[in-house]
Formats: sequence, structure tokens, C-alpha cells
Amino acid sequence: MRALRIGLLLGFRQIQRANFWTTSLIIFVMMLTFLNLIAVSGILVGLIAGAEVAVREYATGDIIISAKDDEDRILDTQTFIRELESFPEITAYSVRYDGGGTLEANYKERRDLTGERDTAAVTVTGIDPIMEDEMTHLSELVVDGEYLSPDDEGKMLIGVYFLAEYAENFGDVFDTVENVKPGSIVRLSVGNISKEFEVKGIVESKVDEVNFTTFIPEREFRRLFNRLDRNADQIVVRVVDPDRNAEIKEALINSGLDDFAKIRTYEENVPKFLTDIKNTFDLLGTFIGSIGIIVASITIFIIIFINALSRKRHIGILKGIGIDRHVIEVAYVIQAAFYAVTGSLLGALVTYGFLIGYFDRNPISFPFSDGIMVADPYSTFIKFVVLFIITLIAGFIPAWIIVKQNTLNSILGRK
Amino acid sequence: MSIIVAKNIHRKFGKDKLITHVLKGIDISIEEGEFVAIMGKSGAGKSTLMYQLSVLDEPTEGTVEIDGTEVVDLNEREKTEFRLNTLGYVFQDYALVPDLSAEENVMIPLLMKGMPWEEAKLQAKKSIDEVGMVGKYPNLPSELSGGEQQRVAIARAIAGKPKILFADEPTANLDTVSGTQVVDLITSLNKNHGQTVVMVTHEREYAMGCNRIIHMEDGLVTNIEYLGRFGRGE
Repeated sequence: MRALRIGLLLGFRQIQRANFWTTSLIIFVMMLTFLNLIAVSGILVGLIAGAEVAVREYATGDIIISAKDDEDRILDTQTFIRELESFPEITAYSVRYDGGGTLEANYKERRDLTGERDTAAVTVTGIDPIMEDEMTHLSELVVDGEYLSPDDEGKMLIGVYFLAEYAENFGDVFDTVENVKPGSIVRLSVGNISKEFEVKGIVESKVDEVNFTTFIPEREFRRLFNRLDRNADQIVVRVVDPDRNAEIKEALINSGLDDFAKIRTYEENVPKFLTDIKNTFDLLGTFIGSIGIIVASITIFIIIFINALSRKRHIGILKGIGIDRHVIEVAYVIQAAFYAVTGSLLGALVTYGFLIGYFDRNPISFPFSDGIMVADPYSTFIKFVVLFIITLIAGFIPAWIIVKQNTLNSILGRK
Repeated sequence: MSIIVAKNIHRKFGKDKLITHVLKGIDISIEEGEFVAIMGKSGAGKSTLMYQLSVLDEPTEGTVEIDGTEVVDLNEREKTEFRLNTLGYVFQDYALVPDLSAEENVMIPLLMKGMPWEEAKLQAKKSIDEVGMVGKYPNLPSELSGGEQQRVAIARAIAGKPKILFADEPTANLDTVSGTQVVDLITSLNKNHGQTVVMVTHEREYAMGCNRIIHMEDGLVTNIEYLGRFGRGE
């Protein structure tokens, strides 16, 4: 305790009397190290988190209701919907009907009837345009043409991955049709039934599920797919407080709705590979950040070593007049701790006061997501503790090397 | 009563064929309350002798007993504690911690002894007053002249009331006036408080306040000169 008290006095006085710019530079280096540790993994994880946010916002919402494992569709969907509407925590929902079909284009212009037809196998989703738009803002994703109206008949929205002009950037991996634009007439075939549709709009999103879908009004879907029982394939739900979606899911289950369908939160619906990628990116970020920690610890080592070496004689004199070596070591560890804490605090201030907000407002545009920055306070704290401990060690070792030298040799400046 | 008894002190430096034999078998004893000066030319071994007597170095051969403790047998930690509790030091270039104020420089060994903060502060101020530096408590060493810094160093050395004060050429870096003031201060500590003092000096004039001058040459004591109880013709 005595060593700590005197070490604190010596350490703080050294910091106080040190050159302002040198101290500022060291703190700046520590701040960058902290940012490197937090921001690199934060942005890497944010890539996936951004994709998750987009999926939640534009595709799945907070709660996903689908057919039970032993059923094809949500049972008694209309009753289910009525029950759903009685929950005040639910702000929006969309009922979806899914099916597969074949889309054919350019058949009117085709001269050679023996040649290959311009077709693509497509996923078709029947929606109520207004409810879907309230739920997932689908109208915002229309990049060409217009969004569906509630009274539209024979109109469809088509995802860009089915259009050769858009999909060619990805190589020949998608089944596409050519020269389809808003206003083009296409034929959608389901089994033996075919119907002509006018492409009303083209939708493009960073959520692939949207790009891979053709949307038609639910009435037409039911007719085309002969789904007269009105049982849906999926209902996506948005709640007032997304963080409380698990509670609302429980409430839905408690009211017996799980007899009709499988009810999952968004988090339960996230594919495992996505969680694995997120964890891998976090690990990768930590690894890159660790290199930063090593650089910072070497920096601190050199700074403290030079500092202690230049004061070797004073260290010798302190030992000579009876000051315990631990006091002197504590003084240097205090300096290292000061640099680590101040740098980290500034880094945390920049992270939470600026960077996170900045990336939320201006996400980095990646092809598959709008990258945000994720910095979970708990993991930030753990990283700070690691940085702090390593800095203390980096401060202690050079002090220990200098302090352990022979007292008289230190006083006389001998090697 | 002898407070320091050193017997057959040898100090060698180096290894194998490059050994320098600096002290070649010195026997010396210093009485409690005595003021002893060690004089000699450069390389005579006077500072090396003082380091053996002041527990800053360990003789290659021989024994040193201080205040009844055989110091050669102590381990490094015990030596540090012994120096803190029994000895005071004044080095030739003041050796104050540059980041600490005059008051804090004096407080440090007192705090190390376990004295409470406020008490150490009071004692430090008292010691600084005693060396004639009233009101200079908050000054940093860089804000003091050489003579003033040496006075603060003396205040630091005596604040803990050591049994023996060692001064290694305390006037070496001072002008004549400051040097005389510093030596007068050390002399008065011995004269008024019975402080045992061992001082290494080049200048005979500064040694005139001593009871005894030990003359050294080539690692041996060549002559012991007695100057009376309080020196300077008394």
C-alpha cells in the first residue's frame, strides 16, 4: 500500500511534468490502438449486422410465422390473422403466399418456334401490396417502373436477378429472361395454367430474397395457384419494440396460435451460417486488433524503457536513499496505465460518440449489405481490459529491467 | 562508541587479468557524533571507501559493521531498508527527483518510512526551513540554484534523522560561496545536533570543520589527521 501511494505520487508527477506533445502523441497512439481493436472488428461484424438489419427491415420483420413442420401452410390463416390483430404490440404484418412457376418473355416476338424459349424458373409471392409495403417498404425498392396498386390485375413486380441485364454482373449463374422492362408482357405458367402479366416495376435490394422473387397481388396468386383455402405460407410481423419480439412471440404462443403455425423470432430464423460468419468476422477483427495491441505494447515498452533509461541515475539515487524498488516500478506502471486508460477513454468516446452514429447514418455500401459499425459494450470492455493489462505489462518490464540494475552502477552511470 | 567499524576492506573491479584493486585492506572506525572527512587525489579510492561504508556497494573482502549490524550479510532488500532507516546521503550533483517539488523530494523517504502524509509534509517543511530554504517548498529543482538544490538534498538526508550522514563531494559542483554555505550547514548539523558525518572532499578548506581527516592514496589510508573536537582551530 505504501509502495502504491509513493509510486502514484512519483508516477503522476512524471506525467504532469512530461512534455505535453509527447504525452499527447502517446495517448493518440493508444487511442488509435483502441479504435483498431474495436472499429476493425466492429465494421467486419457490422457487414453482417448490416445485412441482418436489411433482412429484418425489408424481408422478415421481427417475428416470422410459417407452416408447422408437418403441414404445408399456416392453418386457418384467416382466424390466425384476426387473433394477430388483437395484439397492440404488433404494428404491421404481411401475409405471403409462395409458389414456383415459369416466366416466359419475348414469346410474341419469337419467329423461330422450334428455337429455345426465353424462360426462367421463378419464385412467385402473392402479397397485399399495401400491407407488404407497410411491413417491408417494398415500394422503396422499385428501381424502375411503379409499385403495385391494391386494385391491380395482371401486373407484377420482378426481382432483378431474373433479368439478364441486371444479373449479368454476377456471371451466368441465374436463370433469367432478356429485354424485360416495365411495360413488358410476360407469361407466368404454373403447371398447366398460364397467365399474362405486365411488368409494372423492377425491384432491387441488398436482400437477395427480394431480388429472387416476383410479386403479384394475392388474389391473382390464389387463382393462379388454385389456393382457394386462403391458407398462407408465411406471415411476417413487425412489433413496436423489436428488442421485445421474444416476449411477443411467447404471448402469441400462450394464446394458442402455435397450434396453427410455427412462430419464430427474427433471431431464431437467422441461418446458422450467418451467425458463423459473424463470429468468424469478430474473430478476424480481434486478430487484426491484436496486432495493434502488440504494436501498442511495443510502443509503450520503448517509451517507458527510454524514459526509465534516461532517469537511470535518479532511479539509482532513489534506491540509494532507501526507496523500495517496487515503488519505482509502480511509478512506471502508473504511467503506462495512464496512457492506456486515457487513450481507451478517448477511443470509446470517438466510437460511441461519433463512429457508431456516423456509420448508422452513412452505412458503407457493400454489394450485399449496408455495413454499419457494431460495438457491443461488454466486448468493448473486455477488449479494454486486455489492452490495459498488456499495457501494464509493457510498462512494467522496462521499469523492472532498469530498476533491478545495481544501485551504485545506476548512481554513477556505469553499465 | 564506534558507530562504523570496517575491517580489512578490499574492493576489486573487473575480471581475470583486468582486475583493478581499488581498496587494498582498509581498517577504519568512526565514533558516534564524529565528523570525518576522507581526502585524497583522484583515484585514491576515497569515494569507493565511502560507498563501502554507506552500504551502496559491497566490499570484495572484509566486514563493515554499522550501528551493530553487519551490513555485508544483508540482502538487497534489507540493505535498502537499512539505508532508509539509518543513513542519509548527499551526492555531489544534488540528485533530486526533477519532477518533484522541494517539499516532495524531502517527503519521499519519510513516506517510505511509513510516516503519514501530513506529518511527512510538516517534517519536510521543518527540514527545509532548517537548511535555510524557508518558503521554497513548492519549487521544482530546476527553479533552484545549485547551492539551493544541495540544501534541499541535505534537508532530504536529515529529515528522517539518520544516524550517519554521508556526503560525497557535496561542494564539487558549487561555487566557493555556495560550497562554503553547504559545508557550514553540514558542520552545524554535526556541531549542534551531534550528527555523525562522513564526507568525501577534495578541498582541504572544506574539511577544516571536521574532527578527523582520513588521507588516502592508492587504495590505502596513508595518514589520519586530528583537528580537535569541532575543528577550525577549536
